[in-house]
Amino acid sequence: MTFDWSVVWQHRDALLAGTATTVLLTVMTMVIAVPCGMAVAALRLYARAPVRAVATAYVELFRNLPLILVVYWAFYVLPITTGLGLSPLATGLAALALNVTAYNAETFRAGINSIRKGQIEAATALGMSRPQALRRVVIPQALRRVLPILASTWVSLFKDTSLVSVIAVSELAYVSMQIRSQTFRVLEMLTAMAAIYWLLGYPQAKLVDWIQRRFVVTE
Amino acid sequence: MEFDFSVITDHARFLASGVGVTLALAGLSGICSLTLGFAVALLRLYGPAWLRPIAVLYIDSMRAIPVLVVLVWTFFALPIVSGITMPPFIAALIGLTLHLAAYAAEIVRAGVESVRAGQTRAALALGMSRVQLVRRILLPQAIVRMLPAFGSLLSITIKDTAIASVIAVTELMRQSETVAGQSFQPIEVFTFAMLVYFGLLFPVTRGVDLIYRRVAHLGRS
Repeated sequence: MTFDWSVVWQHRDALLAGTATTVLLTVMTMVIAVPCGMAVAALRLYARAPVRAVATAYVELFRNLPLILVVYWAFYVLPITTGLGLSPLATGLAALALNVTAYNAETFRAGINSIRKGQIEAATALGMSRPQALRRVVIPQALRRVLPILASTWVSLFKDTSLVSVIAVSELAYVSMQIRSQTFRVLEMLTAMAAIYWLLGYPQAKLVDWIQRRFVVTE
Repeated sequence: MEFDFSVITDHARFLASGVGVTLALAGLSGICSLTLGFAVALLRLYGPAWLRPIAVLYIDSMRAIPVLVVLVWTFFALPIVSGITMPPFIAALIGLTLHLAAYAAEIVRAGVESVRAGQTRAALALGMSRVQLVRRILLPQAIVRMLPAFGSLLSITIKDTAIASVIAVTELMRQSETVAGQSFQPIEVFTFAMLVYFGLLFPVTRGVDLIYRRVAHLGRS
């Protein structure tokens, strides 16, 4: 059995472009999903009952679906229901954003709920209005607690971007598997793909551990 | 736009067999990854010094690589290295177990480390051996604290089995793709698959919440 690792170097440009798309997808999804997650969390906590129910249903639905199914669903359903001819990248981004927004919403909601009620009561007793108490007392503390969870969501998201390869978004996994089927260098390309994910993901996982130690909350 | 859900009833058996494979794969990889995770965590905590860094490297590597990549590698590349070809189901079981065991190991470690150090010292001062300490003092408390995390790992396991469709395991996701492709009715089929997955997963996550509320007080010390 002979291996020809030069195939990896020959396709370095394609792999690099794929890696860039992976990183871009991760960043863009987070840029969308953090503010949207905050909005959904706010709706779940402070909106009128019917709106709250819709927000809760959205969060529960997407937290209980495999992402790969959401990706397929978005690929087939979005063009028909919206009438837009979205590119695979935009479709993948939409699926990832829908999924991560639900998780972020839950994270923000849990963060705000984790601040004891006594603090809002104390703040209002001191003459603050409710929005003031939220802005000045609750949210700054909640953000600190939310950060480690957002960081681990980030790493999960980075890995989950590989799932949009099933709808031919040319990110790292798709590119590697394309080169694999063109060159038949199966072991070399798949190992290279795993190695690139590892090189990028390992420091991120370590960083998350550090953030979690750094921001540990003790009451 | 008209929907025709008869495509679901026409392929009911085919789709139901997919649900069966999904549950079998989730159940088996859940059990295997729990066992392996416990072993890795105990090795990491109490194993010989030279093994600990290897256990850490394994855990952190699996946390860094997408499960899709692990599955594809196990199915396509591992047979080239080992010379053994595997059916997709076995490859998926191995890949999912390797991936999820790392998360299980982290849960076990966090649970054990959450028991205060004073209890370890007290147990040793009372003359317990290390094995007794782990079995009698640490694990009984730690396991209660691990339960909610294991519950969410179970729901992650069920969700990850859908990724095994990429290596042609005939579970629900794969069967749905096949039906969607043959019938040209992807919306009906994938929406149905969504309902089924939600029906499987929602009770699990709800159950986790309920258990957590029930047992949370046992973990406090």
